Amino acid sequence: MIRVEDLSYRYDRETPLILRNITLTFAEGAHTALIGPNGCGKTTLIKHLNALLFPASGSVSVDGMNTCDGSSVREIRRRVGMIFQNPESQIVGMTVEEDVAFGPGNLGLAPAEIRRRVDDCLKMVGMTGLEKRAPHTLSGGEKRLLSIAGVLAMDPKYIAFDEPTAYLDPGGRQRVLAIIRQLHREGMTIIHIAHDMRDVTGADRIVVMDQGAVLIDGTPAEVFSRAGLLRSIGLDIPAGAGHGEGLL
Amino acid sequence: MMIRLGQYLPGETVVHRLDPRVKIVAVLLMSPLIFTAQAAGIVLICLFLAAVIAIVHLSIAQTAAAVRPVAFFIIVIFLMHLLLTEGRSLLSLDPLPLRITREGIVQGAYVTWQFICLLVVAAILTMTTLPSDLVGGIERLLRPLARLGIPSQDIAVMISMALRFIPMLYEEYERLRTAQAARGADFTTGSILLRLRAVSSFVVPLLLCAFRRADELAMAMEARGYRRGPRSSLHELKFSGRDFTALAVMALFVLMNLGLRMIA
Repeated sequence: MIRVEDLSYRYDRETPLILRNITLTFAEGAHTALIGPNGCGKTTLIKHLNALLFPASGSVSVDGMNTCDGSSVREIRRRVGMIFQNPESQIVGMTVEEDVAFGPGNLGLAPAEIRRRVDDCLKMVGMTGLEKRAPHTLSGGEKRLLSIAGVLAMDPKYIAFDEPTAYLDPGGRQRVLAIIRQLHREGMTIIHIAHDMRDVTGADRIVVMDQGAVLIDGTPAEVFSRAGLLRSIGLDIPAGAGHGEGLL
Repeated sequence: MMIRLGQYLPGETVVHRLDPRVKIVAVLLMSPLIFTAQAAGIVLICLFLAAVIAIVHLSIAQTAAAVRPVAFFIIVIFLMHLLLTEGRSLLSLDPLPLRITREGIVQGAYVTWQFICLLVVAAILTMTTLPSDLVGGIERLLRPLARLGIPSQDIAVMISMALRFIPMLYEEYERLRTAQAARGADFTTGSILLRLRAVSSFVVPLLLCAFRRADELAMAMEARGYRRGPRSSLHELKFSGRDFTALAVMALFVLMNLGLRMIA
């Protein structure tokens, strides 16, 4: 379980708070969607989940390990995978397989085990056969899939996706969403920042953020029933998902 | 792609399959031989390179492509030696204080040969070795230096990052150039000053972009558990019979060169 308690964050003392008193828990196996207008702090929040950022006040813990405890950081980063918005700038390797092997290599695994994970993860995202390709020769969709495979190879328990369908064509978008659904079915805990609300209708829970704070936290039905509030912060509910006032 | 110089050419030849360490060592041995070669050594090195080129199935065009990007530089060096070497004058270029001498021709040809050989040797290495294997080989060769505090694995990660950035920056450059051209920037006409100003319109965004990318990449690496120090990798290098054979051939080649020098 990931527990976020009374988390506040600012880049430095002169700037306003980016996150304000956020308390959330992400239970194991849940698929949580995180939505909200641009600049509301979604990305900043998930960067706290694997110790890329540290709270100015409050705390974040992963399976009981505090992210501020330096000795736990390595294990926390192994358990919480992070898929960033731009796949281009998270590809490290000079070939597809080398890139997937980067995380396991950092864990110091044996070459045979790395090989097994590379093959499994590339198969999972449907990229078998592209092992030797250079990343810059891949399409945008393939880069996205590669970034997912690279995180899966760490064998994480939780994965935070930051707008994974951004820049993708409809086919690529469906493929990525199908992978997320499959991971969830297999028991992965998913935290999914979405820009397009149609991407998150399948989530168990939706957390709506605005100006660094949690605005609504509930099931998709509960959240979409408050269309007026959503619209007031610039969000539109997806067609067919709304109830009650949303239909007006 | 802009980077054609010695780009990897997939293949299945013996040289392709050699351990990258063997190939790196071979290049390191070749360089001083090339730089100190005398008459018979020149012939020997040419024969050896021709044999290797034949083994890796490089065409003349592919070999020439390795030299072409620096052809201008080589021509300039040849001309400097040709015109500035003291010796028996064959042709005087009055009123310029330049003359073509016999020694100049010999010296120019020799230096040109040295450069071309070095380029071809380096190109054979990079054309037959995947960049990742090359970096892996460098890393393994540097590993004994860890005792002197040289972090070979960090160096390897740095080299692969740099190689990763080249196509990334090139794509970004293309994007910016097109975007600026679409808004009427003109990089091909006008005075040098005007062109420089036009170029600066995308140099600054390109640099900013590179810094942003580096930041994001660093964060993504951290997120995947990267930290300085030892790490394992997908391909562990292993010496096989053919690597020992190749080393023996190289040793023989070096001895033959030294032997020729003794005789002369």
